[in-house]
Amino acid sequence: ARKMAEIAGDETPPLPSSSGAEESSLLSSPPSPTAISGDEPPPRTRKPGTKRLVLTASVLLSFLVGLPLLLKSTEIHRSPLPSDAIADLSRRLQSHPPSFPCGLHAVFLRSGPGSPVASLADQLERAISTQHHLLPASSTAGNISVSVTIQSGGGCTSSTAAASPWRCGLLTAADSVRDDEVFDELLHSALGGRDGDGMKVYTIVIAEDDDGKGTRVVIGKHRHAWVVGKVDEAEALSLIGNVFIKYFMNGGIEEGETGIGKGEFMPVGSDGNVVLSFSLLNADPNDWVYDWEFKNIGERILTPVVEALRPVADINIESQVLYHTPKSSYSYSDDKLGGNVLSMGDIPFFVNSNEWHLDTSISATGRSKVLQFVVYIPSARECPLYLQLPDGELSKTNAFISPMWGGVVIWNPPGCSVGSKKAHGTRRQMSSQELMETLEIFIGQLRQLFGLKPNYHAQGMDVATKFLVSEKGFAQWELDLLYRHHACSNLLSCVATLESLSSLVQSLPRMIVMDEIGRQVELSLEAASLAQRNATLGIGDSSAVSATRARALAEDAFFHPSIMSISYASVEHYFAIYME
Amino acid sequence: MMPPSTARRLCFLSLLLLLLLLAAAASATADAAAAEEFTEELLLRPLPDRKALAHFHFRSSAPPASAAGRHHHLFPKAISQLVQKFHISELELSFTQGRWNYEQWGGYDPMSTNNAKPPGVELWAIFDLPLAEIDATWKNLTHTLSGLFCASINFLESSTAFSAPRWGFKLNEGNLRYGALPREAVCTENLTPWLKLLPCRDKAGIASLLYRPSVYKGYYHSQKLKLKSSQSLGIILDQTLTVVLQPNTVSGKQLHSTGGQLQPSWSMEHLFSKKLSGKCLVSKSSRVFVEIEKGIVDNVDKAGSDVSSNNDLFVLSTAPDRSLKELDNLEVQSSSLYEYDVNNYNSDKPLNVGITWKLPLIWSCTRAPYHASRFLMGSGNERGSIAMSFLSTGLDKQLVDSSNDCSIKAVVFQVVPWYVKVYYHSLEVFIDGNSKAISEVVDKIHVTPSEDKLLPGTMEMLLKFPCSMQLATLTLDFDKGFLHIDEYPPDANQGFDIPSALVSFPEFNSSRSYPEADPLFVSPLLENFKEDGVVKSYTEVLLVPLTTPDFSMPYNVITFTCTVLALYFGSLLNALRRRIGEEERGLKKAGILNKRGLIPLLIAKLRGQKVDPSESESTSPASLPRSKLLLKVVFVAVVAIVFHYLSNS
Repeated sequence: ARKMAEIAGDETPPLPSSSGAEESSLLSSPPSPTAISGDEPPPRTRKPGTKRLVLTASVLLSFLVGLPLLLKSTEIHRSPLPSDAIADLSRRLQSHPPSFPCGLHAVFLRSGPGSPVASLADQLERAISTQHHLLPASSTAGNISVSVTIQSGGGCTSSTAAASPWRCGLLTAADSVRDDEVFDELLHSALGGRDGDGMKVYTIVIAEDDDGKGTRVVIGKHRHAWVVGKVDEAEALSLIGNVFIKYFMNGGIEEGETGIGKGEFMPVGSDGNVVLSFSLLNADPNDWVYDWEFKNIGERILTPVVEALRPVADINIESQVLYHTPKSSYSYSDDKLGGNVLSMGDIPFFVNSNEWHLDTSISATGRSKVLQFVVYIPSARECPLYLQLPDGELSKTNAFISPMWGGVVIWNPPGCSVGSKKAHGTRRQMSSQELMETLEIFIGQLRQLFGLKPNYHAQGMDVATKFLVSEKGFAQWELDLLYRHHACSNLLSCVATLESLSSLVQSLPRMIVMDEIGRQVELSLEAASLAQRNATLGIGDSSAVSATRARALAEDAFFHPSIMSISYASVEHYFAIYME
Repeated sequence: MMPPSTARRLCFLSLLLLLLLLAAAASATADAAAAEEFTEELLLRPLPDRKALAHFHFRSSAPPASAAGRHHHLFPKAISQLVQKFHISELELSFTQGRWNYEQWGGYDPMSTNNAKPPGVELWAIFDLPLAEIDATWKNLTHTLSGLFCASINFLESSTAFSAPRWGFKLNEGNLRYGALPREAVCTENLTPWLKLLPCRDKAGIASLLYRPSVYKGYYHSQKLKLKSSQSLGIILDQTLTVVLQPNTVSGKQLHSTGGQLQPSWSMEHLFSKKLSGKCLVSKSSRVFVEIEKGIVDNVDKAGSDVSSNNDLFVLSTAPDRSLKELDNLEVQSSSLYEYDVNNYNSDKPLNVGITWKLPLIWSCTRAPYHASRFLMGSGNERGSIAMSFLSTGLDKQLVDSSNDCSIKAVVFQVVPWYVKVYYHSLEVFIDGNSKAISEVVDKIHVTPSEDKLLPGTMEMLLKFPCSMQLATLTLDFDKGFLHIDEYPPDANQGFDIPSALVSFPEFNSSRSYPEADPLFVSPLLENFKEDGVVKSYTEVLLVPLTTPDFSMPYNVITFTCTVLALYFGSLLNALRRRIGEEERGLKKAGILNKRGLIPLLIAKLRGQKVDPSESESTSPASLPRSKLLLKVVFVAVVAIVFHYLSNS
């Protein structure tokens, strides 16, 4: 009742209830304040009622009702990104970096008669297992399972740990005197002849042979090495450990050297494509013009390399011949060395980007990588041109690499010497022998660009070590190493990309996120976990393939054109627009 | 028994050997035939208006091979990959600065029909693809070319920028796309990537003559790239550069003391500030031609002299290695060519061909049957009309018997952007000033009307003019459309360009043949002259001024609406909160208000209704509202800081 009275009381002053009418009263009231003042009702003593409040509130309410509509009309589509899964993957990778379990199988070939004692194998296995603490932390290898087989005239004994693929009796210590290449293949067939799908097992064979030539170690093209000579047990054990850790696990890269696994990036485009562009540069065609038969010879030599590297990168090969392409650094003539010399300090200026139209390739679209391999033919004036190493020696290959760019080989044409006459524009062909030699240098450069050693010197080994060279350019154990590192680095870079994408999306609340981006992120995560699973099984190549795919998808999501084209508007800007 | 068998065996063996040798020889020749080739040529020609024309022609060819696009020796890798990727069977891209003067420089010769191009960029391509994929491929192609030639060819990507003519431009099966950018500026940044496609670039050979300041000082400059690719022939890449230059002769020295010399004598050095010192070493042939036109040849004949390199009218500074005579269909010599093989010249003995006139001479070039031009009519920003006129040059009188029912065909192809909305039904034809029925003149017409922001309007029209006609005019009315504010280009007030229309005369052929006894003499330049030479001419580019909006309009709208909103809310709140009557009563009672300052007065007014007049006198009236105001200011500042902090974190 009091409320009613209040409202009734409210109505008594000459204030109309509607705001429009009130406005009119507002307009009408000012003209004559003194005129009204005469017969004024007495000033109100009570507080104003709720009616006015209700009115004000209704205006406010209508705005509040409109607000969801406004928000709905300005809503933007944001595909939900699985940021939890990304964070989870990143945590997993940080706590347990992918490690590939592998096996070490030591085979002792004894020439003596009689059946070997089974306990001896177990004892040797324990002895080898204790050496693995030598493994450097940066290695990608995980658990190593060790098995030992001892073969002697009477048969074979294996340690209990694993079923050995060793075909007993197929090979004896006497075979080791044969040619290394032949023995390598024999050994490969004795080990089952397959490169294997599952966990990789590395075999080191100790062949006892006292021909008096001393001990030597040969590292084969597949996943095995052998030691020939008279070695006692302790020496054999240390050799096994050395070979396994230094080469099979670390590719012969010493501490402090740059190379695989030492923070070097792989020269592979983020979509897993690489174009190898080979160019023959005729510095001055007025002197001589060389051409090459790259199509046949180059393809023949490089195809096995391309095949071997397929899990790491999809490689395309191109070639071209360019003319009038002088170098842009100076060389000086050195009479003692019989030619023009280019010192190491001038190499950074050698590549003449103004005149060398090496060109990127249309086939290298998007984020793929082009590696340039250049054969530089000096002009008659600067011929022969040699690279001088810092110690004053001349470079043996006459070539250098530039990381992530490619390599250059300086090829002095035959019959070029100081003061050689201009052959005035004769067109010649690079002989196939010379082309093959050049290509071998390029394969060495490619190995180096991928972080392996161009060739090995038996550093730190007490005994003579020999490395068999595969026609693929990469031995099987080197490829394993590449696959492992590639998988690891790609997984890490994939996670880094996904993390930055997720934090970018979170930091910009008004950014549109297309469904396609969300799908790509999910696929990328799937591929990444597949790569991890394969890694724990020790399957390096499929892990590398999945990791490449994961990284490519992550980059695709990050560099999606819709992200690039978003005209990101700040909140202030947004309010300003909707005020309009 | 034995001897005969061995003999036979020997015979067999030798036969086998012979066969093998033959096979090897055959494969060797096949290899030679399948090699990549490069030729370079230059044609110089004096023009009637004291200028000189230089036409550079470079041809690179690649045989069809499985390795195409991957392994190359001479052919540019980029072009080969382009052809492979976009399945191009023909492509032509031209960059032109200046307009070809059809009246002075000729309109009825291979140079004007094939190498005179409309200003700006013109691109057309024929794809070897299913029709549904062509538009998408075209879009990718424009982007690739844009990157390759440092030009804004990517603006041809939009469907409003290209069209698919069926027969008006070039007869095709719907797989041709045509686009033009009339306003594209052409300069060295386009020439450098074009030169990069040549094996020697401009380091050696004929291309070394391309001294940029002289080339870009010219009156006309057109650089063109033409590609032809097929399974059987491989890829043929023709790169041409046509320039019209004013010879940079030193007056006084070159001119005769007698005066009255109309033509300047010039040489290569005057044109390019350079001499030619040898060929590009990897080129198969390297030639320079000097062409003397029919007009001069006729004059020489009249003077009774033999048309050689040294006659009564002119002398060429270097004796040519060969001279070629063009024969027209009546077996009458019409023009002559003098050839120089650059192989015979080197840096010690550079080639510097020039022409020195002995007598003043006036001649004219052969012209196309009609001089076509296009112009705009009407005024204002609402509507207008396009008119196209064909003025007879009198050529038909000589060529066609002027019987009454004879007629000359002309094909018109024109693309109009969508914002110029052409009413095709409004086509009117006037012949010698008299209006004619459309059916009398237009034989065949194919129109693709424009769609707003989607398609340009394309018109292909086959016209038939009576031979006796002097002047024909076609008019088309149009409305000017409106563009969205962000569709306007920079400097919208300059107007919008309508690309050149192409007029071709299918009954007139400008191809030239040079009967030559030597079968080994192969010149791609002259081959091109022999090929399809339907007389064509491009009309002017039209500049249409469109209504441009006031570009500050959005900001005006924003400020205006904001003002209205502020006024509305302000008065609403005022009306809801204030009680005018009571305030005044309060004011009256508190007479002391007049003694206070302005600010306390305002505050009192703001807070007036609640302040009881009796209380206001007892408590300190000024200090309380002041501290409250201070509190409010502090509160607002804190809110602002917190908001700023939250929005930034």
